[in-house]
Amino acid sequence: MSGSAARTIRVDTLARVEGEGAMLIKMAGERVSDVKLRIYEPPRFFEAFLRGRHFSEVPDIVARICGICPIAYQMSAVHAIERALGVHISPEVRMLRRLFYCGEWIESHALHVYMLHAPDFLGYEDAITMAKDHPEVVQRALRLKKIGNHLVTLLGGREIHPISAAVGGFYKVPAKNLLHELEEDLKWALDASVQTVRLTAGLEFPDFEQDYEFVALRNPSEYPFNEGRLVSNRGLDIDAAEYEDTFIEQHVKHSNALHSVIRGRGSYLVGPMARFNLNFDNLPEVARQAASDAHLKPPVKNPFRSIIVRSVELVFACAEALRICQEYEPPSQPRMEAPSRAGVGQAITEAPRGILYHRYAIDDKGLIVTAKIVPPTSQNQKRIEDDLREYAPRLAGWPLKDATWKCEQAIRNYDPCISCATHFLKLTVEQEEEK
Amino acid sequence: MTRIIGCGNLHRMDDGAGVLVAERLRKLGIPADVQSGSAFELIESWYKDEDVILVDAVVTGSPVGTVHVWTGKPLKVPSNPQVSSHGFGVAEAINLARILQLLPKTLTVYGIEGKEFGIDESVSPAVLKSVESVAQQIAQATQQTEAHNRQISSSRS
Repeated sequence: MSGSAARTIRVDTLARVEGEGAMLIKMAGERVSDVKLRIYEPPRFFEAFLRGRHFSEVPDIVARICGICPIAYQMSAVHAIERALGVHISPEVRMLRRLFYCGEWIESHALHVYMLHAPDFLGYEDAITMAKDHPEVVQRALRLKKIGNHLVTLLGGREIHPISAAVGGFYKVPAKNLLHELEEDLKWALDASVQTVRLTAGLEFPDFEQDYEFVALRNPSEYPFNEGRLVSNRGLDIDAAEYEDTFIEQHVKHSNALHSVIRGRGSYLVGPMARFNLNFDNLPEVARQAASDAHLKPPVKNPFRSIIVRSVELVFACAEALRICQEYEPPSQPRMEAPSRAGVGQAITEAPRGILYHRYAIDDKGLIVTAKIVPPTSQNQKRIEDDLREYAPRLAGWPLKDATWKCEQAIRNYDPCISCATHFLKLTVEQEEEK
Repeated sequence: MTRIIGCGNLHRMDDGAGVLVAERLRKLGIPADVQSGSAFELIESWYKDEDVILVDAVVTGSPVGTVHVWTGKPLKVPSNPQVSSHGFGVAEAINLARILQLLPKTLTVYGIEGKEFGIDESVSPAVLKSVESVAQQIAQATQQTEAHNRQISSSRS
């Protein structure tokens, strides 16, 4: 490529991500001088307008942060508030919360793997174009997503912004037969998710590995959803209450969403690859077998292969949902009463895109004094920029149109949920003159 | 029985037009569904052997309040090529349903031209006027269809 001519790529809308934002890459030959993931939508002030609200209102309010992952927001909120108030949920409610999360993972992962990410690898503009050549693949995605939605509706009362999750449990729990009736659908979904792994394992991936610090929850005996210590492959092992001692949020001029870094170390990666690499031994046999058949073993360091990891997590979520539905007995007490008392509580749960941190301070009347929410995409923001900084030079000789597509694909590796903070994403690559 | 589906978001001003039509029809005693979630679910909300009427706000550049009607096969609804989970709208759902052969037996789309889509619950007066007129048109059409169906079934018996 000639270094004498400046060139600019401009993509008005980055397609196939959750929400909208902007990206700028400045290059001089193979040297990247600047990468900015710009999130310029004004802040949404959720943390501010939670103040003064009663703690019982919080799950319904935070569910509104995201239409794709409302359960994650509800789960982190109820666990943090229960911790502040000293509420202990029953084992039955704990299982139902896992099932609730399975529903969200199934619908979110099916949407991203098939509708948003697979078209990149198969060379289609979008899922609609892909459906012309692969109708059975898109139909499988729609049915998987529908099963996830159905689970969410059964437990949450409705599929978008569910309303049944409460501090202490659920306002209403499903009758035994309603979950048992789901078994046939979930057996189909489990089989379909194994086929999903086979499909994604057959895609072609760029040779691109990074030395990430993976951060995820870890339980002694379960693949994580709601509980666990926060661990990393570089020795991190903390309780949620210590999160803010280790992770700091930084304001950067080009983004209205705060960047998260590990104090003294920098960017880190949360989400399916981090969970898989740190919890592989806790996957059920069917998911481990699917990974093994796909020649996928930890540590996975190529972010483009996250589509296979996400597919393996789909297998896990379907298998876990099936197990819980088969064993389900309605809890004798769906909701523990929570006392109004002053306290501070923190919790981390695993949203489909990675860890979601909540902290609440509550006064003696049960009103929220302060709230802090750190979503997974905000935590991956800096890591996305770091990936692009490393990846873009490899595309220096590519036609700009193709290079732009690959950069967009690299962003989509993270399934970013930009909608939690922004409204429009456009990608600009500027080619500077070499000095 | 015709399935009527009103799409939109009441908190985004004129975008709520389809939902308002559904609410108005319910007050007239005519069952109507509301779809305010992902357009992917729209494909799952009808059956292949049904007659479906879908109402949504549209932006085509026509004067605010203009009522567009798309019907027949193949149904050509203007589509926005911006396909993300947020850009996947009613037109894209219809296109995808057509490719997957999941369209209902008949599909009629009423589009009410909107102008304001900010975060508010107010609706442009011209849109409100069209909401009433579309609701009346649909009510009349469904009542005629039902009367026709009753006539057929009584002549058969």
